Amino acid sequence: MTELWFLILYLMIAFFAVLEGWDFGAGALHYIVARNQEERRVLIAAIGPLWSWHEVWLVGTGGVLFVAFPRVLSTAFPAYYLALYLVLWTIILRGISLEFRGHISHALWRSFWDVVFSASNVTLAILFGVAIGNVIRGMPLAPDTPLSLPLFTDFGVRGKVGLLDWYTLSVAVFTLVCLSAHGASYLTMKTEGEIHRRSRELAKWLWLSAFLLLILVSLETFYVRPQLLTGMSDRLLAWGGVALVGGGLISIFTSWRSGAERGTFLGGCLLIAGLLGAAAASVYPVMLHSTIAPEYSVTALNGSSDASSLRAAAYWWPVAFALALVYFSFIGRHYRGRVQLSKDTQRPY
Amino acid sequence: MGIAWFLVGWKWLHLRTGDGRYGDAARLWARIFGINFAVGVVTGIPMEFQFGTNWAAFSQYAGGVIGQTLAMEGMFAFFLESAFIGALVWGEKRLGPKSHFVAALAVAVGSWTSGYFILVTNAFMQYPIGHSFAADGSLRIQSLSAFLLSPWALIQFGHNQVAALVTGSFAIASVGAFYVLRDATSEQGRLFLKWGAAAGLLASLLAAFPTGDAQAKMVARHQPAALAAMEGRFESGPMAEITLIGQPDVRRRTLDNPIRVPGALSFLAFGTFHRDVPGLGAFPQDAWPTNIELLYYSFHVMAGLGTIFIGLMALANLQRIRGRLESSTALLWALMLAFPFPFIANTAGWMTSELGRQPWLVYGLLRTSEGYSKAVGSGETLFTLIGFTGLYFLVGLLYLFLAGREVMQGASHD
Repeated sequence: MTELWFLILYLMIAFFAVLEGWDFGAGALHYIVARNQEERRVLIAAIGPLWSWHEVWLVGTGGVLFVAFPRVLSTAFPAYYLALYLVLWTIILRGISLEFRGHISHALWRSFWDVVFSASNVTLAILFGVAIGNVIRGMPLAPDTPLSLPLFTDFGVRGKVGLLDWYTLSVAVFTLVCLSAHGASYLTMKTEGEIHRRSRELAKWLWLSAFLLLILVSLETFYVRPQLLTGMSDRLLAWGGVALVGGGLISIFTSWRSGAERGTFLGGCLLIAGLLGAAAASVYPVMLHSTIAPEYSVTALNGSSDASSLRAAAYWWPVAFALALVYFSFIGRHYRGRVQLSKDTQRPY
Repeated sequence: MGIAWFLVGWKWLHLRTGDGRYGDAARLWARIFGINFAVGVVTGIPMEFQFGTNWAAFSQYAGGVIGQTLAMEGMFAFFLESAFIGALVWGEKRLGPKSHFVAALAVAVGSWTSGYFILVTNAFMQYPIGHSFAADGSLRIQSLSAFLLSPWALIQFGHNQVAALVTGSFAIASVGAFYVLRDATSEQGRLFLKWGAAAGLLASLLAAFPTGDAQAKMVARHQPAALAAMEGRFESGPMAEITLIGQPDVRRRTLDNPIRVPGALSFLAFGTFHRDVPGLGAFPQDAWPTNIELLYYSFHVMAGLGTIFIGLMALANLQRIRGRLESSTALLWALMLAFPFPFIANTAGWMTSELGRQPWLVYGLLRTSEGYSKAVGSGETLFTLIGFTGLYFLVGLLYLFLAGREVMQGASHD
């Protein structure tokens, strides 16, 4: 049962990263690919209709953590208190910038929200990258003392670590570049004209940089947490994740060359889901890795809810998941194809 | 949650009759709804995460039970709402009339489902049911159906949802009154007045009876100390009176300047005038709610405003039936200025519910003082509290500005 819930948690995170990832990425590129008001309206109309549906996967992830792994939630969330609040406040600003921007057709109003929008997307991509970095690096978990991390210490990865160090920051840079690339692929697929051309060109360079950074971050990871490599070697699922990453990369670059925009985009989705999958399969069952001693780690086994609670939730979760996909297919059908301002600019966009 | 069903009603009439007035009405309120929703979504996400950041001990203790409904809220309700809200607010041209009606319906169902799951969570904190204890002392689910169909949750859902309808109705009636005062021939104004007043009267009545009455009976039976504090009652005894006005003095255990109705509390809480209703003196002091004065005033503000709502809406409907509502300037002014008061009543109601539960976080099982995150210092908490106050103040100002602007521009503006 705990394996099932670990898998469900992975699915939630993967859906969030893939779906909201392209929104973050497109938002981070707001000023780079969209140079005037008209183009910025197109960019926002491309992500406007479904961003809240994407963001709900984060809420769902929180819910799954709550019901299935309450000890993980109650250990990690207070430990990263200020960082989490930074995430929450940035999410608030990003959401309202998307929704409020279009309400008033005035250059000052719009440029104010444009700044808030692109800055919050960059910040969120970095913060989520830092979060992944922290989960992989681990934290100084010890029994009987509640965990609390400072924002930063000496930026080293050993001993008294903080939220930010050279490793978590490099994961964050990778995340930002990777999501921006993903966002560029999405915009290539959804737009026309100048913004389309710029996105397509950027996608190539961003994916290339993401690929190089991925090699660098992987090497760093094996230095920071060598156990991951040994954990990975005999796990079929982890290699499945690696295969997805490889397949994604091939799809990205071959499709880009042939102009198959959907192939590039789907390749990006595969790559992100595969990376998270390889990481999840290699760390299992450890969820919060203790840098002090392995027996202090919070794992899926010692951090999960009671079996009766897990069983009860396993009845309703698949129903809810299936329904969520039904809504998406209903709405997605209507928003297929490229953004047309004539159809999508009924105020406020 | 209140406006959602007006949108469904107007979209439906527009679909059936093709009458453009309903389409315009739905479009205006969908835009306002969109602003509400944006603010609601982004401020709702922190609420879920605060269980983990600020109430870690509570989350670990009760996660196996209340995690169910919090996760269900996300998975069942938020997905439904968030998938369709974009389509409802901006997608009229993309979707066409039928799908757009479906979107309105989906958003209404989603928002009410979300309300149900969060109220089940709160009902468990008020009146724990359906749980048992795991080996480590934490809570686990014993019966999912008993937990989901808790009598407290059903009653609280009824009361909370009609209160949401009161809020929506007052907002719509208020805008209607504003339009008619501005221009006596305003068609939209008349439409909003008609719908707002009719729904407002019905919902205000339902908020008092049966839902408010049933809620009070639940409190009387399961949280007797809370009931005593809500009424400022220190001495026990039969023929218990209801306090209309008075100021509790907790130190001297008296109620100053009281105006009371004898026997009414015994009757309302237990159905007979002679029933003994315990006062706070009957309970040990560490079982008293921690802020009795605030609890007392919250309850009286809610109940007093609820009574005024019934009177105001009854008068509005009476005048409308006589065909004089549009010319009753004083009444229109009252309706126009009344829209903030349901928000105040809702807040006071929630304060009654949450202050009344103190000193418990999960009634009878976990004290509030045991539930917070031990790892988070008070300096950090204060920092984030100040941050939230500032951010929410800003968001609130922007909300009022944008919603007010939509109202000013009116329905005809596309």
